[in-house]
Amino acid sequence: METLNLSKKYGKTDALRGLNFEVEEGEIMVILGPNGSGKTTLLMILCTILKPTSGIAKVVGIDVAKEGTKVREVMGIAFQEARGFWRHKPSSILRFHASMFDIDPTKRQDLIDQTMKDLELWESRDKLFMHLSGGQAKRLETAKVLVQRPKLAIFDEPTSQVDLRGKRKIWDKIKELRNQGSTIIVATNEVREAEYLADRVTILHQGQRVVCDTIPHLKDAIAGGDVVEVDFEDPVSARLSEELKSLGGSVALSPQGNQMRAMVSRAEDWVPKMTSASYNQGAKISSIKITEPSLDDVFMQFTGTTLEDKP
Amino acid sequence: MNRVLTLAAYNIKLLLSERNWFFLIWALFALQITIFGSLMSRLVSGKVEDYLFFYSIGLMVITVFDSGASVGRNFVEHAHEGELPYYLSLPISRRGFLAAQALYGVADTMLKTLPPLLGILFFMGRLTVLGAFFAVLALLLLGLGISGIMISMSFIAFKSVDIYSAFIAGLSALLVRFSTVFYPLIFMPNFYSPISLLSPLTYGADLARWFLGFDPQLLLNPILAAAVVTAVAVGTLSLSARIVDRIIEGVKVG
Repeated sequence: METLNLSKKYGKTDALRGLNFEVEEGEIMVILGPNGSGKTTLLMILCTILKPTSGIAKVVGIDVAKEGTKVREVMGIAFQEARGFWRHKPSSILRFHASMFDIDPTKRQDLIDQTMKDLELWESRDKLFMHLSGGQAKRLETAKVLVQRPKLAIFDEPTSQVDLRGKRKIWDKIKELRNQGSTIIVATNEVREAEYLADRVTILHQGQRVVCDTIPHLKDAIAGGDVVEVDFEDPVSARLSEELKSLGGSVALSPQGNQMRAMVSRAEDWVPKMTSASYNQGAKISSIKITEPSLDDVFMQFTGTTLEDKP
Repeated sequence: MNRVLTLAAYNIKLLLSERNWFFLIWALFALQITIFGSLMSRLVSGKVEDYLFFYSIGLMVITVFDSGASVGRNFVEHAHEGELPYYLSLPISRRGFLAAQALYGVADTMLKTLPPLLGILFFMGRLTVLGAFFAVLALLLLGLGISGIMISMSFIAFKSVDIYSAFIAGLSALLVRFSTVFYPLIFMPNFYSPISLLSPLTYGADLARWFLGFDPQLLLNPILAAAVVTAVAVGTLSLSARIVDRIIEGVKVG
């Protein structure tokens, strides 16, 4: 799957700006970006629901703008908003979906039953769609794609509104689908989801690809490789703050002035210098925590904003 | 083709679950004929022979019009309730999707009109197999044409549902009022009849009446009526296919 200089405009608003993006066969590609970064627009173009303003998008080598029906034969999408079919039941919705994608009729019902059990929809199989909770409706969206087992499976924020236990189940089923041979694209703004699922991550910001790589490579790309979080008993003086910043790395103080977060190349070198400077200035340290950078840090590094910020 | 039928069947299945709604439509139809139809036929007696029958077929045409219009409304509702993106992601062509909508419209029209039509023909002693068959065919063609008009206009709804609703309400009022559904063309005032010739309902109503053996002197030429009804069905469905294919997108997202 690849896009070349792909753009999409809504009136005067640019949702995608010359996006170049590719997904290798059999991988899970996570598209990470805040709301409004263009993730859903990209997915809607890939599954032929939206038309690009310019540029090319190909799925399994097929141009989505020219041969939409062929593309839809090989892809399946779980939408961000699980809506519609208000007066149908989950079991009937899945049967319809399976029949539209020519799932072997002899195996269809078993596959549907098993998927509903796996995603804890079995008890709700005869409820009307309009009576499902938000989380159940999202599981049903995922179930459609799992029953279909397409070559290219697209999940748009698959676990929003789903409880923690349900999230883990959905993530495991997505990985299982990849192991069965599907190529998978997941769009999300949840760091945990990305870390759990991704073979590679593409960071999307304001309709453009900022960076694409494996999670370890992305974390390595951050200036420094360790994150040191320090709690002081009292707010740090301006003088100490300046001294700590001069030790190297990227140092940020909390607004209250008693918490510090530093991204440094080697924590084992930096921490003794920091404790010594703090001791000399009479600042008391209550805790020190050394971690790896998160994808949030990666996002911050490459875009200058956090995933929670508006684009 | 199999997938088009599967999609149409899925929607028709839901339609069949609304039995009470159909009973209500049939009851309303019967009520309208027995009260208003009878009263009006007394008012115009002498000018139009068997006006009650004329009126009944006119009422049938309005039901067909409503049914055709509801296909267009359904299409717009699909878009706004989130079903349209799902439909557009299914492995059928846009024309196939439209064909499934049209089949759904045909089923809807048949369910709403066939039982009352057969009832009228039976009670008025005008039931013949050939007459009923061709009258239904004419009504279905008319229904497809109306569906085509409504779907063609649905692109307005992607800009504003309010404008679409207002536009369709106005268009519906004009198409029904300026037509021969309740009055034969030859009795219309001079300023009124040319406008009525612009409404596809005029041709559909007169064609159905002709097949059912109504006095041909009060009707349009059946060949002209058949040609117009067919042209409207083919033309508007082709136009709506182009619109679905080229203009309509499933959702607008950020």
